[in-house]
Amino acid sequence: MRLVLFLLACTIFPAHAQESPYFVTYDHHLEEPGNLEIETTSTMGLPRAGQRFYFAPYTELEYGVTGGWTAELYLEAQSTSGDSTVFTGWRFENRFRPLAREHFINPVLYLEYEGINEATRIQKEIVGNAPTFGEPNSELAQTHANELETKLILSSTVHDWNIAENFIVEKNLSAAEGFEFGYSFGVSRPLATLASAKDCRFCRENFIAGIEMYGGLGSTNGFGLHDTAHYLAPTISWQISDNASLRFSPAIGLTQQSNPVLLRFGYSYEVRGFAGKVAKLFGARP
Amino acid sequence: MIRGLATRLATLFAILILMTAFGLLGTVWSQNPSYQPDTNWRAPAGAEAKRNPLAKKPGAAAGGKKLFQRNCVECHGDDGSGLEKKHSADLQLPVVQSQTEGALFWKITNGNPDRSMPPFSRLPELQRWQLVLYLRTLSREVPK
Repeated sequence: MRLVLFLLACTIFPAHAQESPYFVTYDHHLEEPGNLEIETTSTMGLPRAGQRFYFAPYTELEYGVTGGWTAELYLEAQSTSGDSTVFTGWRFENRFRPLAREHFINPVLYLEYEGINEATRIQKEIVGNAPTFGEPNSELAQTHANELETKLILSSTVHDWNIAENFIVEKNLSAAEGFEFGYSFGVSRPLATLASAKDCRFCRENFIAGIEMYGGLGSTNGFGLHDTAHYLAPTISWQISDNASLRFSPAIGLTQQSNPVLLRFGYSYEVRGFAGKVAKLFGARP
Repeated sequence: MIRGLATRLATLFAILILMTAFGLLGTVWSQNPSYQPDTNWRAPAGAEAKRNPLAKKPGAAAGGKKLFQRNCVECHGDDGSGLEKKHSADLQLPVVQSQTEGALFWKITNGNPDRSMPPFSRLPELQRWQLVLYLRTLSREVPK
């Protein structure tokens, strides 16, 4: 009963989640302490000739541990047409913001541990050289990879624009592959910067539009653009209600090694004061 | 005659003293008693001097009210007087209302991690100014 009441409270409690429209790029805004954001996102890859369509959904639980530390857990899967559906692993991500106040450039340090297999297709980041997408899921899922990923996130607010740059270094701890590199840039802005007095779903202020560019930069075995995937992705987010938002981004592949198109959809729901609600559930007093 | 006048004056004086005392007590009781302003949380001089670009558009405060209800009510309460369990600021207090609009804008933008006040730099600049406009109405809107 308590659990039902808790879930009900989570559903009706208002919270405001002004979501960034990015799917790959991170900006400097962390989750508010004690809040939990539940997000479900999908990456769909439209294939080149000889490749197959795939659908890679993932669920993300993002929690604000402190004002300067946000932790996230990902669970991901993948389904390829004419092949199979497989669970592709988990990721545990941490973002730390060392400087508390707003600065011209706000750095954030990112550290992620991934327990995934080679069938992963969510493409949450693009690093190293492009995968071939040729082998069946049954083979790919057998190859496990424990990876450590770090990012330097730099992000600025210039008037109403957000400008973010991410520099990525990833190391597969399960194989001697060297370090892989990648990048991601994003620019975004709300469609309206003044809030109207009325409560409205379709007001321009509820939409943020932007553009991302991301790709791999090879590895220590061969740094550069050769045999790498790059994407240019317009993106838009819509604040459906005070606590829910939708995002969409069609990414265009820029190189022969990229998918021609990646379609990304995301829905996120923010539970404000999650920590307090859990504490209350177990009898704690405020 | 003089004695009667003195008694009346003394009574009137006592009533005035009592009214003042009750007024002061009422003001104190209406505040969040656990709230202690953070004296170290100060906006830089340059930020304090900033002018609100919406100052000549008081109608924008209505949008500020909507933003306040979305982003601030959970900690500061519907009337901005603060919630004791959150140890949040009473925004109706003179210590808040006497600050410049630039200082309030800076505080909304940057937050105060020492007091669990999150930054609202995610909101567009004009929306943060709208919040400042609405904060200014709080002391007048709710009768003490």
